[in-house]
Amino acid sequence: TDTIKAVVIDGYPSRALWVKEFTNFFIPAVDARLAKTGNYKMDWQESYGGSIVKPKGVLEGVKLGLGDIGIVTTIFHSSKLPSQAIAAVTPFVSSDARAVSKAVDEIAKEFPAMQNEFKKQNQVYLATGVVLDTYQIFSKKEITSVKDLEGSKVAGAGMNLRYLEGIKDAAGVRGGLTNFYNMVQTGLVDHAMLWPEAAATFKMAEVAPFMLDVSLGAVNSKTVTVNADYWKKLPDEVKTALQTVAVDYRDHLAGLAMDRAAESIKAYEAAGGKVTKLSDEERKAWVDSIPDIATEWAENLNKRGEDGTKMLNAYLGKLKDAGHVGVRDWTAK
Amino acid sequence: MFQSTFHGISKIANSISKLANVIGTLVVLGLVIIINYDVFARGLFNSPFRGAVEVVQFSMVLIVFLQLPDVVRVGRLTRSDGMLLLLEHKVPKVARVIHFFINLLSAAVMSLIVLAMFPEFIEMWESKDYFGIPGVFTAPWWPIKLIILGSAALCTVLFILKILIPKAGGSK
Amino acid sequence: MSPIEIGAISVVAIVLLIYIGVYIPIALAAVSFVSIWLMRDNFDLSVNLLKVAIGDSAMEYAFATIPLFTFMGLIVSKARLGSDIYEVMSTGFRRVKGGIGMATVGANAVFAAVTGSSIASASVFAKVSVPQMLKNGYNPRFAVGVVAGSSVLGMIIPPSAMLIIYSFVAEQSVGDMFLAGVVPGIMLAIAYIGAIWGMGKLFPKFVGGRPASDYERMPWKEIASKTLPTLSLITIVLGGIYTGWMTPVEAGAAGSLAGLVIAVLRRSMTLKGFWEVLIETGHITATILFLITAASIYSRMLGLAGLPNQLGEYMTNSDFALFQIMVFYVLLMLFLGTLLDTASIILIVVPLFLPLIEPMGLSLVWFGIVTVVGAEIGLLTPPLGISCFVIKASLNDDRITLKDVFLGALPFAAVMLVVLIILIAYPQLSLVLLN
Ligand code: NA
Ligand code: NA
Repeated sequence: TDTIKAVVIDGYPSRALWVKEFTNFFIPAVDARLAKTGNYKMDWQESYGGSIVKPKGVLEGVKLGLGDIGIVTTIFHSSKLPSQAIAAVTPFVSSDARAVSKAVDEIAKEFPAMQNEFKKQNQVYLATGVVLDTYQIFSKKEITSVKDLEGSKVAGAGMNLRYLEGIKDAAGVRGGLTNFYNMVQTGLVDHAMLWPEAAATFKMAEVAPFMLDVSLGAVNSKTVTVNADYWKKLPDEVKTALQTVAVDYRDHLAGLAMDRAAESIKAYEAAGGKVTKLSDEERKAWVDSIPDIATEWAENLNKRGEDGTKMLNAYLGKLKDAGHVGVRDWTAK
Repeated sequence: MFQSTFHGISKIANSISKLANVIGTLVVLGLVIIINYDVFARGLFNSPFRGAVEVVQFSMVLIVFLQLPDVVRVGRLTRSDGMLLLLEHKVPKVARVIHFFINLLSAAVMSLIVLAMFPEFIEMWESKDYFGIPGVFTAPWWPIKLIILGSAALCTVLFILKILIPKAGGSK
Repeated sequence: MSPIEIGAISVVAIVLLIYIGVYIPIALAAVSFVSIWLMRDNFDLSVNLLKVAIGDSAMEYAFATIPLFTFMGLIVSKARLGSDIYEVMSTGFRRVKGGIGMATVGANAVFAAVTGSSIASASVFAKVSVPQMLKNGYNPRFAVGVVAGSSVLGMIIPPSAMLIIYSFVAEQSVGDMFLAGVVPGIMLAIAYIGAIWGMGKLFPKFVGGRPASDYERMPWKEIASKTLPTLSLITIVLGGIYTGWMTPVEAGAAGSLAGLVIAVLRRSMTLKGFWEVLIETGHITATILFLITAASIYSRMLGLAGLPNQLGEYMTNSDFALFQIMVFYVLLMLFLGTLLDTASIILIVVPLFLPLIEPMGLSLVWFGIVTVVGAEIGLLTPPLGISCFVIKASLNDDRITLKDVFLGALPFAAVMLVVLIILIAYPQLSLVLLN
């Protein structure tokens, strides 16, 4: 039996859902597969929570060989990994983490764009992870329509700030998960965009007891990658094990995210939160007000010599086949 | 003859350090202004400055690496020199050897940083990579890499000069 | 070589290099670089670690608190806020034995809430309160000792550069660390005042001094004009953070601006003085952040070596009690405190102990307070005790030797140690404001 050392890195701490599942699901699954033949055995070194890299440093850490395998949080790297924004630029399509992660992962494998981007970063793409079901709006006061968002301040992070651009006088304020609670409590913002699981974890019901069920959609944010030099030296059996388990991990994680989301809504309501569903007409009005970020995204990729438009259409087609049709047709020009 | 060349280089290096220091100092002032602007714009006019985070991060790199050469020049990098001062008093010869070793080690570390940052700068210059959120606020990476590269290079030169011209630029 | 051996050898190498006078960041970077090179037999990997650590470290948003609070502290020192608070306090305490000493502690505690470093406190109060105490017949050793001891409050009561540094290494929120520092800081101030009272009873000769004869009550108006500027700054900074209205970075910027306005209104700021403050701020920021950067290279080296994993495993397999770990931790900090500055101690010991503390489910905020207080005892102990050095330099009085300063500070270092033990035993003291 050959022993192969693998340093796994993530800048997030081991209590984060996807990290915990890497330890409890991914690693045992790989070990079990390899144990069947007994040819190889992995010697895992799990270094999480900033012990080697910070959350933003995983991409570079895997690139430079500080870690052999890494969980890259792709939303930090819009410039190096533009195609990863595929779900973020198509809001109001699907709030099913399983469907979105499967579709993104298949796009990554059928089109060269995502793998090329990682190849440039000296790493091999394994699978996509989706850890949140959908962004929702959490408010201090009860709101029922998009009009209620006009002239208000909404905390968000990353690409979702752009969803507010068409709402009259609404200002997107940048925040992070850890300070949304304070931002709402102090009146710094009127609403915050986050997903139910995070809302439950950070006790948002205490300060923002009204959730507007907008269902902006699930977004991919985690990608498991392997350092390319390390990959080259791996025996085929290990490569196959990693690839297969990565797909299982993808589905396992998305399933967990959905279970957690359902529990979190219940917890939010139990803690005094009230959920109001946004009407279909209102959702339509909102999504139509957003600039055409999907086309912007596709054209940017086209310019880089990738097939952005085709990717976008194929991605939405996959979701459609799975029964998820968007409120707005993002493929239209 | 060499000595006068060294002194010439030393003069130039010192002037660059001081200039960088002045620019870095102005960035400190800029930082105070920008963050206050963001706080007021957000609180009073409902229009936060969406690039505040990136600008603050950028400023931090500018402050640290523009001021670092001057810190090296005036010998203010953190150290515990009680033993060394004692040796200077009692056995100056040993102290001189230690000074030589310290400056050499410092120059080596600084030049390793140059070695690490140079390809990084070239890569960012060619790829025009940025950080931040497209459509919200973005800033290019290359100036950051360039500042760190330049700063480390200048620090390398300053430490080498401290070896060549003992006491030049003042070890204290 | 096992990770634990690498960790141990690297610490010894770093301490040796620092002891012969190598710049601390250079020692940390060099030892880390060589360790990885030897461990993995891979020069490029070492260079890559440098690359990642150097790029990352300064880019941290929360680090903007360092220049901002440094700037604020320097500005308010120039605006004489420290001496004003001292004058008000001393009218209150004058009639008690050791009263000026108590006033110094009280003024330091208040001033600490608007300055981020002990150095500012030490230099301000060495100039203001030591001459007053000498004039009133206090024992010189006691006089300088009080100033040295209470200057430590500057870095425990928020804002504090050390709490910021810890929050970076341990990945805790700066705001949480600031809130956690309030109660322990006040506790230490009260302990000092109690100790002075006790010393006055038990060792009246060590304290010296006579009750003030020129006692005059300060008019309310003057009290107001001397305290309001500081109180308003405290309200802006700590109030802003506590209510969540501002991030610590924003509170630092707002405090800087407010401090500047106060200084200008009081006409205590010239353009030249302003420029000096800016340059000093830049120098201090560059020095601290370069040190932090180097320390992050070191802690990542330990991570790459697998030391945290090994230590974690070792802990689960052995039956060390928390008590033993903490005793060892405090002793290590006291030892390092003899020759290292506070920031370096925090940056060196925290990455080593975090993997031991975290799995035990203990609060990392509490651990941070313990670390900062423990590391700051070193400010008062020879041979390298920064606060004592600063006081000696600020006094510029040949009658008081450095030895006097250290001996005078010793009882206060002992009080700190007692408070530290209480803080270790009762984590709730640090966490009460957070819950
Ligand atoms: Na303070
Ligand atoms: Na000391």
